[in-house]
Amino acid sequence: MPPRASKRKTAPPNSSSVTSSDGRSVFSKTKTKGLGKIDRLFNSYANSSSGEIDPDGIVALCSDLGVDHTDVRILMLAWKLKAAKQGFFTQDEWRTGMKALRVDSLSKLKKVLPELEIEVGKPSNYEDFYAYAFRYCLTEEKQKSLDIESICELLNLVLGAQFRPQVDSLIEYLKVQSDYKVINLDQWKNFLRFVQEISFPDLENYDSGLAWPLILDNFIADFIRTLREP
Amino acid sequence: MSNQKKRNFQIEAFKHRVVVDPKYAERTWKIIEHAIHEIYNHNASGLSFEELYRNAYNMVLHKFGDKLYFGLVTTMSAHLKEISKSIEVAQGALFLEELNRKWNDHNKALQMIRDILMYMDRTYIPNTRKTPVHELGLNLWRDNIIHSGKIQSRLLSTLLELVHKERTGDVIDRGLMRNIIKMLMDLGSSVYQEDFEKPFLEAEIRLNEEIERVAHYLDAKSEAKITNVVEKEMIANHMTRLVHMENSGLVNMLLDDKYEDLGKMYNLFKRVPNGLSMIRDVMISHLRETGKQLVTDVESSKDPVEFVQRLLDERDKYDKIICQAFSNSKTFQNALNSSFEYFINLNSRSPEFISLFVDDKLRKGLKGVTEEDVEIILDKVMMLFRYLREKDVFEKYYKQHLAKRLLSGKTVFDDPERSLIVKLKTECGYQFTSKLEGMFTDMKTSEDTMQGFYANHPELADGPTLVVQVLTTGSWPTQPTVTCNLPTEMETLCEKFRSHYLGTHTGRRLSWQTNMGTADIKATFGKGQKHELNVSTYQMCVLMLFNNSDMLSYKEIEQATEIPASDLKRCLQSMACVKGKNVLRKEPMSKDIGTDDAFFVNEKFTSKFYKVKIGTVVAQKESEPEKLETRQRVEEDRKPQIEAAIVRIMKSRRVLDHNNVIAEVTKQLQSRFMANPTEIKKRIESLIEREFLERDSADRKLYRYLA
Repeated sequence: MPPRASKRKTAPPNSSSVTSSDGRSVFSKTKTKGLGKIDRLFNSYANSSSGEIDPDGIVALCSDLGVDHTDVRILMLAWKLKAAKQGFFTQDEWRTGMKALRVDSLSKLKKVLPELEIEVGKPSNYEDFYAYAFRYCLTEEKQKSLDIESICELLNLVLGAQFRPQVDSLIEYLKVQSDYKVINLDQWKNFLRFVQEISFPDLENYDSGLAWPLILDNFIADFIRTLREP
Repeated sequence: MSNQKKRNFQIEAFKHRVVVDPKYAERTWKIIEHAIHEIYNHNASGLSFEELYRNAYNMVLHKFGDKLYFGLVTTMSAHLKEISKSIEVAQGALFLEELNRKWNDHNKALQMIRDILMYMDRTYIPNTRKTPVHELGLNLWRDNIIHSGKIQSRLLSTLLELVHKERTGDVIDRGLMRNIIKMLMDLGSSVYQEDFEKPFLEAEIRLNEEIERVAHYLDAKSEAKITNVVEKEMIANHMTRLVHMENSGLVNMLLDDKYEDLGKMYNLFKRVPNGLSMIRDVMISHLRETGKQLVTDVESSKDPVEFVQRLLDERDKYDKIICQAFSNSKTFQNALNSSFEYFINLNSRSPEFISLFVDDKLRKGLKGVTEEDVEIILDKVMMLFRYLREKDVFEKYYKQHLAKRLLSGKTVFDDPERSLIVKLKTECGYQFTSKLEGMFTDMKTSEDTMQGFYANHPELADGPTLVVQVLTTGSWPTQPTVTCNLPTEMETLCEKFRSHYLGTHTGRRLSWQTNMGTADIKATFGKGQKHELNVSTYQMCVLMLFNNSDMLSYKEIEQATEIPASDLKRCLQSMACVKGKNVLRKEPMSKDIGTDDAFFVNEKFTSKFYKVKIGTVVAQKESEPEKLETRQRVEEDRKPQIEAAIVRIMKSRRVLDHNNVIAEVTKQLQSRFMANPTEIKKRIESLIEREFLERDSADRKLYRYLA
C-alpha cells in the first residue's frame, strides 16, 4: 500500500491559492502565507475525501511527533484545538488551534507540547480541560454518560500522574461496585473536586454534608471498610 | 461551627465524620483528659461542653470506648489520691470541713464529667457491662478517700466524738454532720439495699409526719424548709434505687398495672427536680423494649389481625396507666406516642397489617357492634396509622384491600368504610384519599349504568344477570389484564353491555378483568340436590363447561377457558379438593392438581347450606415476593414525589445548601413517608443531570435552581 502521507502531500492546497491571487495587502498576505503553511500541515494528515484529519491521520501525526496517540498530551492538543469529535480534527479547529499555539510546522508543534502541558496545568484551565476530556469521549448523539471502563481509563490518563493513590483506589472501587454502570458529567467533575480537595488517605476533611455525589459517599464508605478489615 | 448550629435538622447517618487517623484517639483523649484536670482545678468555665461531648461521642462511635473509660478511671483516681493527701493534712476540726468541701467538689466534677461522657454512659457502658460514670466516681471516692488507711479510722472517731459532744450539751455543726452522714449513705449502698416498699412508704410517712409536726408546734415557715429537707433526704437520694429495684421497681409496676403504686411514685417523685423525667425515661425504655419484641416477634407476624390487636391492647394499657396513675400528663402522653412511633416502624409490614386489620373488621368483625363502638375501633386504628412513617405504603395496601372488599360485593359496612376515608382525609389531605373516593364513585356509577343497561334491554330479563363494575384506570390497584374465555351466553351478554356502554360513553376503552369477578350459579346434583354456588368468574367458566360434558381432562379445561395455569390450578383445587366445597371430583384423588387429571361433577355433593361459598377474594397477608413487588412499586412512586418536592423547594429558594434541601424535602414529605436521605441525594443528582439544578461553582454545599 502506498504511504498515505505522500498521497496527501500531492493534494493541491485548496483555498490558499485562491486567496493569494486577489492582491491583498502585505499584512493579509503574510497572514494567508501563515495559513498556507498551517493548511499544508493539515493537509498532510487529512483524509482527502472527508477533508478532516481522521483517526488514521491522528495516528500518523502522533508518530511524527514521537508521541503515543493515547498520551495525555494528545488530549491536551485536542482541548487546545477545541476539537468537537473524538479522533477528528476539522480544518477550522486546526487553523484556530495552530494560530493560538503560534505553530505552523511539525517541529514547532513538537516543541510547543511541553508548554501546552504547562498551560493546561494552570488552575484556571485545568477544570475546563478536565470537563473537556469527558465530553470529548462522548461519541454518540445525546450521549450524556460514559461507561465505567472508559471512565477508569480516562481517570488514569488525566489524573493518574498527579493523584496516583486516589486514582488507584477509586478505579478499584469503580470496577467492583455494581450500583453504577455509567458515570455522568456531574459525577466526573466531582472526582476532580475530590482528589483536589480531600486529604488522602485519612479523608479527614470529607464531609458528606458538602453535597458529594452518592457514588463518592459509597466509595468513601467502602474505602473505610477495607481499611478497617484488611 | 456556627454553620452547623444553624441547621435545624440533621440526618444521623451522614453526620459522622470519617476518622481513620490512628493518632486520632490519642489526640482526642488528650483533649478530654485536659478537660478533666481543668474541672478538678475549678477551671471549667473555659471549657466547651458541646465540643467535649462531641469528642467523647466520636471516640465511642469509633470504638475507642475502652480508651475513654480506662483513661477516666486513671485520671480520676490520680486526682482523688491528691485530694486524699490534702484531707489527711487538715488538722482538728478542719478535717471534716475539708472532707465535706472536697466531697462537694468531687460531686460537682463528677456531674460535669458525666455530662461530657453521657454518650459513653448510655451506649458503651451498658454494652460492656461497666460501672456507670456516676457510680464509678462514688466507688473511686470510697476506695481512695474513705477507705484510705489514714482517713477511715479518723473519720469514725471524729464522728463518734461529735455525737458524744452533742449529747453532753455542746453545740456542734449539725449541717456538716448531716452532710457527712449523707455522704456515707450515698456511698454505702449495701446498707440501703432493702425492699422497695419500705423506704418508699417510709418517705411518705415521714413527709406527712413532718408536716403534721409543723402544724402542731413549729412556725409555719418551717414547713417548706422541713419538707424540702425530707424530700431531699427521703426521695431524691433514693430515686434511682427505687425505680430500678428488682422485682418491685417501676418496670414491674408497669407490667402488673399497679395503678395505685404508680400513682404514689408519681406523686412523690413530682416533688423533686428530675423525678418525673426519671419515671418517664424508664417507661419509655421499657415500652420501647417490649414494643420492639412485639413487632419483631415472628409468631405474632403470622397473624396480622392478632398483631394489630396486640398493639392496640398495649396502647390501651399505657393509656390507662397514664390516665389513672400519671394524672394524664401531656408529657407522658407524648412519651407514649413517641415510643409507639419508634417501634411500630421497626416492622416494615406494620402498614400492611394495619390495613388487613381494618379489612378483617369491616368484613366480619363489626357485625352486631354499635355505630359508636365502630367509631371507637376506627379511631384507635387511626391512632396507629398516625405512628406510621410510611403512610404511602398503608395507602397502597388499603387500596388493594378496599378494592377486594368493594368488588366482592360485601359493602354491607358502607358507613364505616366512608367514615374511615373521611378520617384519612382529615389526617392526610385530599390527595391521599382522592383515589379511594374515586373507587366508591365508580361503584355508584356502575350501579346506575347497570340500571340503564337493563332498562334499554328488557329482553334480557330472563337470561343470566350481568353486573358490571366499570373501574377507572388509575383509581384502582393496577392488575395485569388477563382475559379468559367466558361461556357463550355470558360472552354475548358482555358484548351487548360493551356496545351499550361505548354507545353512551364515546372515546373510552373497556377491558374485562375476569380475574376479579364473582358469580352466583344454581346447580342441581345427582339426587336432585339444588344449591346456589357463590364462585369466582374463573370457577364459573369451569363449571359451565360441565353443562355439556360429564368428564373433562385438565387440558380440555385449560384449552376451553384459557385461564392462566396457576389460576386454573388454584380454582380447580378449591372445587375438587376441599371438603364441603367439592362440587367436582377428580381422578386420581389427590390434594394437588396434575395436568393429566380428569374432572367430573361430584354427583354426591352435599352441604347443609343451600348457598355454598366456594371462591371468595379475601385480602391476605402478602407472600414475600408480592411484598417485594409492592415495595418496589412504592419506591418507584416515591421518586417523582421526591423530585417534585425538590423542584418546588428550589424554585422558591433558588439557591439552597445540601442539608437544608434534605431537611425541607423530608419535612414536606413526612406526612406521607420518611424520605430516605440517600434517595433524595439520588434524585438531586438526577435533576442535576437533567439540568434542573446545578452545583454552585464556588460553594460546594449549594445547589442552584436552573429556570
